[in-house]
This record gives sequence, structure tokens and C-alpha cells, in this order.
Amino acid sequence: MGRTVVTILLMTLTVFASDMNVYERNCVECHKKLPVSLDKFFFNYLLKYSSERRVKQALRNYLKHPRKKASLATEELVARYGLMPKTTLSDKELKEAIDIYWEKYKVFGKIE
Amino acid sequence: MSVSNVTATGINRSERITLVRFIALYSFLVLMILILGSTIYFKLQKDLMLQTKRLELEEYSKELIDGLKLLHIYFDRYRTYPRNPLYRSAIYDADHVQIFSTLKHPEGVRLDRVIYTTDGVIQYIHVLDSYYLGTKYTVVEIDDDRRWFVQTWNSILIYGGTLLVIFLIAGVVLMRLFLAPMRNAIHLLDRFIKDTTHELNTPVSAILSNIEMIDTEKIDPKTAKKIRRIEIGARTISTIYQDLTYLALNHKIASQDEHVDVSSLVQERIDYFRILGESKKITFETDIQPGVRLYIDRGKMARLIDNLLSNAIKYNKRGGEIFVRLRPKELVIKDSGIGMEEDQIKEVFKRYKRLESGAGGFGIGLSIVAMIANEYDLDIDIRSRKGYGSEVRVKWDEQ
Ligand code: HEC
Repeated sequence: MGRTVVTILLMTLTVFASDMNVYERNCVECHKKLPVSLDKFFFNYLLKYSSERRVKQALRNYLKHPRKKASLATEELVARYGLMPKTTLSDKELKEAIDIYWEKYKVFGKIE
Repeated sequence: MSVSNVTATGINRSERITLVRFIALYSFLVLMILILGSTIYFKLQKDLMLQTKRLELEEYSKELIDGLKLLHIYFDRYRTYPRNPLYRSAIYDADHVQIFSTLKHPEGVRLDRVIYTTDGVIQYIHVLDSYYLGTKYTVVEIDDDRRWFVQTWNSILIYGGTLLVIFLIAGVVLMRLFLAPMRNAIHLLDRFIKDTTHELNTPVSAILSNIEMIDTEKIDPKTAKKIRRIEIGARTISTIYQDLTYLALNHKIASQDEHVDVSSLVQERIDYFRILGESKKITFETDIQPGVRLYIDRGKMARLIDNLLSNAIKYNKRGGEIFVRLRPKELVIKDSGIGMEEDQIKEVFKRYKRLESGAGGFGIGLSIVAMIANEYDLDIDIRSRKGYGSEVRVKWDEQ
């Protein structure tokens, strides 16, 4: 009986996990708590770094080494919620998360 | 051609050649300068046009950037690109990747420039400080109406053409001005030669006819010898006179061609030159086939033969021989004179070639030969060996 419960639990977990990608699991989950949405952050990055290559590079740098100086967020936000904690994701996962983030908010092909 | 236009020195022809060459060089230089000037003018006009258009394009660019800013802020709700029927535009990111475009000629975009024309459109590039929607470069494009182009070309053609004509006229005038002193000098010389030639005729004929009238039997041998020398001198002057007349007048006057009995003519000229040859103890040996005919001006044929014979005497050694052979289609005059080296013959031939193109030349004698040969398509062949003498062959086709 106990084994079955564990198995079911594990199965639901895997199903649950496979449904959500690394971006949704990691970034979105934590950012839910913040009043500023992730797309606002994205457009700030776009405003400052312009191209795909440069935006992704800046994101990777920031997520790996969040520093006040490099932050594009407002002072109040950082004061209230603190800097984003250094990412716990592996390089591969981080790249995947950033790629998904980019795909989700990029402007290419969306302008009419 | 009227006689008054004829010159002994061919100044008209030489002058024309000089003039043509000068004008060719001069127009080339003038054209070069005009092309250079036109290129600079064209570039200036184009820059001027672009400067005027730039103000307009900067306005459009500002308007576009304002639109992009709004779009950037409200992108979650609103995604329509800012358009305006007055211009077309495109946006590029920092890595020169096109984000969006309504351009007619996106392939001509040069993000490293500011304003330029390409394929009938004018494009203006603006670099942004804040990259709305990731846009680093905006490109604004309007049609190039080409009015400036047509206008510029029109002025280049009109002013350039006028300048060219003015320059050319100035060139010709200057050239004539510079040539005038030289031409005057040559004309003076020319007239002098003509006048002298005419005045030479009477005294020389008088001397020759009077000598002929002297009965040498009746005077003592010493005086007869002196008279013979006078005759040689007079005949020499007479041939020079004939040559001068030919150069100054004859060769420009229409020829009176007829069937000339070359055999008797050659014989007659040899008899005439025999006396001249005697002074150098030169003997003539002849092998003349009778009845050889040629359709030619008699006077000119005589000039040709005279000059060949006179050269054969002039370049012969004392006590030498002159061999004359006449066959149908061929006259050979050979001397036992000093001869010429291989390269000297080449030189003579080269000069002979130059004669054919009409320029002045070496000794009047051979130039006359060359002129006549040229006129009647006679083929002249000179062979010579140093120390053995020269051989001149005149060949012609049967008419
Ligand atoms: C543990 C919570 C947490 C997680 C996980 C997290 N973030 Fe954040 N993030 C924050 C907080 C807090 C801030 C605001 C403070 C700041 O800007 O550093 C922030 C800010 C940001 C910013 C703005 C950075 C700036 O320049 O200020 C970006 C972009 C961002 N997160 C992207 C991501 C992405 C992408 C992921 C997933 C790979 C992610 N975050 C995961 C908490 C998190």
C-alpha cells in the first residue's frame, strides 16, 4: 500500500515536472512573488542590449553574478525584495531557461 | 588645287598635321579637366541634394522613433508598426539583424553610413541611444525623384559643352598665333624659291642655247675644253632648276599622262648626262631594249631618270661606270661607286617610307624619285654593297 502511494506520488511528480519546463519551474515560480512581471524585465534588457546575442549574454551574466551595479531593476524593488539570488541552475539548464525566456518575449515576427 | 596654294615646302600640309595633332592633345587635356570638374560638381550637387533631404528624413526618423517608443512600452497590448505613407522604414538591432521593414530596397541598406542613394531611393540611417524593441538603427527611405540628377547632367552638358567649344576655339587661335611667325618665314622662303626658280630659267637657257650654237671645229681645242666645262656647269644648274620647278610647281599640277617611249627617253637622258659624267671620267654602258613604253607624264619620267642618273654620277668614283638596262617593266641603273652598308640601305629605305607618308626628306633628288614612284605605283628597289656600288631597280606593271 505504502509502495503504491509512493509510486503514484512519484508518477504525478514526474508528470507534473515534465509538463513544466525549466523556465517555468525555476524563473516563473520565484518571480510570481514579485510585483514586476518578467516581461517588463525582458523589455528593459531589450532596451539596453538590443540584439539577441547581447541580451542573452547580459542575462546569463546577471543570473550567474547578480550585482547591484549591473541590475536594471528599480532601486525600490531591489530594496524591498533584495537582489535576485545567484542561480542554482546548471549552465545547460540556464541556457535553456534563457532561450525559452527569449522565445517567449522576443519581438521578431510579432510586429504587424 | 590652284597654283597659288602650292608651296615648295609643303607648309600647308605640315601645318595642318601640326594643327590636328595639337588639337587632339589639347582636346584630350581639356576633356580630362572637364571630366574632373564635372565629377566634382556632380558630387557637390549630390551632397547638396542629400543635405536638403536630410532635414526631412531626420523629421521622419524622429517620428518613427517616437512610434517605436510607444510600441516598446505597450507591446503587450499593441503591436502595429508605426507607418507613414510619406516614407518607408526599417529597424535593425545591434547585430545588424533586421527586426522589421517596410523598405522597397532593404538589400541596399548600409548601416555604417548616414545618408546615401541606392537604386532610386534615398536612405537615412539614425543610431538610437535607447534600443526600443531592441532597435539600434532606424532606416528611413524616400524615393529619389532624380530631378537633381537630370538637372546636374543638363548643366554639365550645357556648361561643359560651351567650355569645351570655347577652349577649342582659344586653342586654335593660340596655335595659329604661335605658328604665325614660323609660317611667315616659311612662306617668305617659299616665295623666294618660286621667284628665283622662274628667274633662273632664262639665263640658264640662254647659256645652253648659245653654247650649242658655238661651232667647236672652228675654235682652238683649249677654248673648246673650257666651253665644255661651262656646258657641264650649265647643265648641272639646269637639272637643279628642273628639280626645283618640279617641287615648287609641277607635282601639284595635274599630270599629262601619255604613252611615253621610255627607251628613247632613257637614251636621251643618258646622252644629256654623258657630258656631266665625263668630268669624273665616268663611262656609261647601256643595254636598252627599244620600244619599251609606259603610260606616264613625260616630264615626270624624265625627272625620275635624271635624278637616278645624277645620283649615280654623284656617288660614283672617278673613272667609274654606270650601267643602265631597260626591259619591259623594269629599269635598272647600277653604279660602281662607293656603295652603302647594310644598315645605311635600311636607313635610306626607312626614309623612303617616311617620304611615302609625305614628310620632307633626304636629298631633294631621291624625294622627287619617291614622289613620282608613289604617284605612278612604281616599285623602287635599292641594293647596295659597300665598295661595289649601288643598284636601283624601278619596276612597274604593264598597262
Ligand atoms: C529565487 C528567486 C528567483 C529565481 C529562481 C529567479 N529570479 Fe529573477 N529575480 C528575482 C528577484 C528577487 C529579482 C529582483 C532583484 C534584481 O533585479 O536583482 C529578480 C530580477 C530578475 C531580472 C531583472 C534583473 C535586473 O537586471 O535587475 C531578470 C531579467 C530575471 N530576474 C530573470 C530571471 C530568470 C530568467 C530566471 C530563471 C533562470 C530567474 N530570474 C530566476 C528572483 C528570482
